[in-house]
Order: sequence, then C-alpha cells, then structure tokens
Amino acid sequence: MESISTVRASQDDFYKDAVEKYGSSLHRLASAYEADPDKRRDLSQDIHFQLWRSFQRYDARCSLRTWTYRVAHHVAASYVMRERRIFSTLVSLEELETIGDKDQGQLAAEQRLNVKRLSVLIQRLKPLDRQVIISWLEGMDAASIGEITGLSPGNVAVRVHRIKNILTLRFGQGGGYAE
Amino acid sequence: MRNDFYDDDPRTTWQNQPMEASTMSLVLIRQKARELHAKTRRQRLGTLTVPLVVAFFYAFCIKQFPQLRQVLYLLFTFALAWSLAGLYFLNRGKWTGEMPGDTGFSTGLEFCRREIERRRDYVRRGLLWSFGPVLLAIGTFLVALAIVAGTGIWSKAMPFMTLVVIWIGAYFVIRVRQERELQRAVDELSDVERENSR
Repeated sequence: MESISTVRASQDDFYKDAVEKYGSSLHRLASAYEADPDKRRDLSQDIHFQLWRSFQRYDARCSLRTWTYRVAHHVAASYVMRERRIFSTLVSLEELETIGDKDQGQLAAEQRLNVKRLSVLIQRLKPLDRQVIISWLEGMDAASIGEITGLSPGNVAVRVHRIKNILTLRFGQGGGYAE
Repeated sequence: MRNDFYDDDPRTTWQNQPMEASTMSLVLIRQKARELHAKTRRQRLGTLTVPLVVAFFYAFCIKQFPQLRQVLYLLFTFALAWSLAGLYFLNRGKWTGEMPGDTGFSTGLEFCRREIERRRDYVRRGLLWSFGPVLLAIGTFLVALAIVAGTGIWSKAMPFMTLVVIWIGAYFVIRVRQERELQRAVDELSDVERENSR
C-alpha cells in the first residue's frame, strides 16, 4: 500500500506537469467563462485547486490532457451554474447561429475578429457548447473534443461546423481556419 | 483583456491572447484546501437555520399562548420533526456530493447532466423540506393569534399578513420557475445523448 507521502508526491508531480503543459490553456479557459478580472482570478484559483485535488484519483486511464481539461471544464461549468441560476439567458450554438449579433453592440462595429469579441460570444453559450468551442479554439481534433465532452464524433463535427458558420457570419472570416 | 488582433484565424488569435501572470502555487493551493474545510463547516452550521426558525416560533407561541399549549405542542412538534427530517433529506446530497475535482473520469455531458439534476432535486426538495415546515410554523402562529385575540386581529395584522402572503407567493413562484428551467436543461442534455447514440 502506498504511503500518504508517496501519493501526495505523485499528486504534486501530476499537478506540476499539467500546469507546465496546459497552464496557459487553463488561463484562457477561465477567461472564456468569466469576464470580470477579479472573479476570473477566483475561478482560475478554483480550477487549479480542484485540479490538484483531482490527481489523488488519477490513474492514467485517460491522457493527462483529457483529465486536465475535463476537471477544468467541470469546475467552470459548475461555476456558471452557480453564478447564473437562470439558464434561459444562455444559448446553444444552434440558437446563436440563427439569432442576430445585436448584443455585441459597439464591438460589432469593429468587424474583425479579436479576443474580446470571441470571449463575449463564448460567454453567451451553454456549458457543453462552451466546452466544444474552447477545445476547438485550443486546436483539438474531433476525437479529443469527444473524449472531453462525451459527444460522439458526428455530434462534435456538427457543432464545429456551426462554430465556423457563426464565426464567418459575425467576424466576416473567409474560411482561413478550415480544418 | 486587450483587443489585440493577430490574424484571421480564430484559433491563432485565441491561443496568442495576452496572459495575466499566474498566482497559483502549491502553498496557496494547500491554504485554499484549509479554507474550504472551514467554509464547509460554516455551511453545515447554516443548514440548521430552518429548524432554528421553527424552534423560535415554537418557543414564542408557547410563551404567548399558554392556553393553547396542547394544540401548539402537537403542531409544533410535527413542524420541528419535519424540519429536522428536512435537515437530513435536504442536505444528504450536499454532504455526499462530489466536487468537480472528483469527476475527472466523467465527460462534460455526464458531469453537466448530474450537476443540473442535483440542483433541480435540491430546489424540489427545498420546497418540501425547508419551505413546508416554515409555512406550517407561521400558519400555526397566525391561527393561534386569531383564536386568542379573536377574528378582529385580522384587520390589524393585515399589513403583516400581506407581506407574508407576498413572500410565500414569490418564493414559491421563483422556486417552481427555477425547477422548470433546470428540468428544461436536463431535457436538452437528454436530446444530446439521444443524438449521440444515433
């Protein structure tokens, strides 16, 4: 039986490894869930704390990347559910594809893509769709996105197609990001 | 966050966004773990609110209306037992509930569904186990007041009664709306699961 100190050492090691590899992604993930800088810092700390805790149970059944993203998304989704008790203010990718861009206000006048507009767009989405768009923006393929979200490859493909449509409609992108 | 433009690829734009310096370290994480333990202890104490409210009404009514002692004993004992049972049933899920850090084996879909169902059940149970005993305690108090002081008390107590009725109505409507909202979110996730299996 492993001693507590051995477990703690591997827990710390896994955490350090995950932060080294995916620390920047975790920061971007927090910014996609929370716009307010102070709240974002709290969310980011919560993600790190829960990630560290999670490595007590990690047994390499899935990759370190999948595990890290899953835990981070779960913390963030839980945060969204806690903060926004009424779900009807959030939309799905399907709804976002069909409704106008009026909420983007002045930002829409800029026409071009930037991080702020992208974040505003993501923050309007329901948790599961946020997971898909964030994973896609992080450069993951459909199989990896499916592993994190639990969606089938076909389902992921449909959603990624919608994301591309939305970006084309809202930012006037010309398909320069096609897979 | 600055409005920096990088190029026309959203993924490049996204991955090259300006970063704030990370403030997390293992020392800070361990400190956060200690804070979480303290917060959990405080939250558990907070769950005693409803039985305490009922007990307060209980003591107050017995003192104010000693002539109704027999009836009040019965009703308040029932309300107190109800609220104490509520303490268990309402918080059972919370005490054994997993934190996001315990759910690395679950996918986003599984986690979201479980989390929303947990919240829906909590709202649903709240109406029965938390709202119910408080309502019974208030009702008992008002009936005792009417018996002792006569029905003329109703006109004097009208402003208070109105406030109580508004509070009860608003609480009920908000909770029911929350429950429906959460149920709709669960149904949407069920649709996604069905799409998945096609």
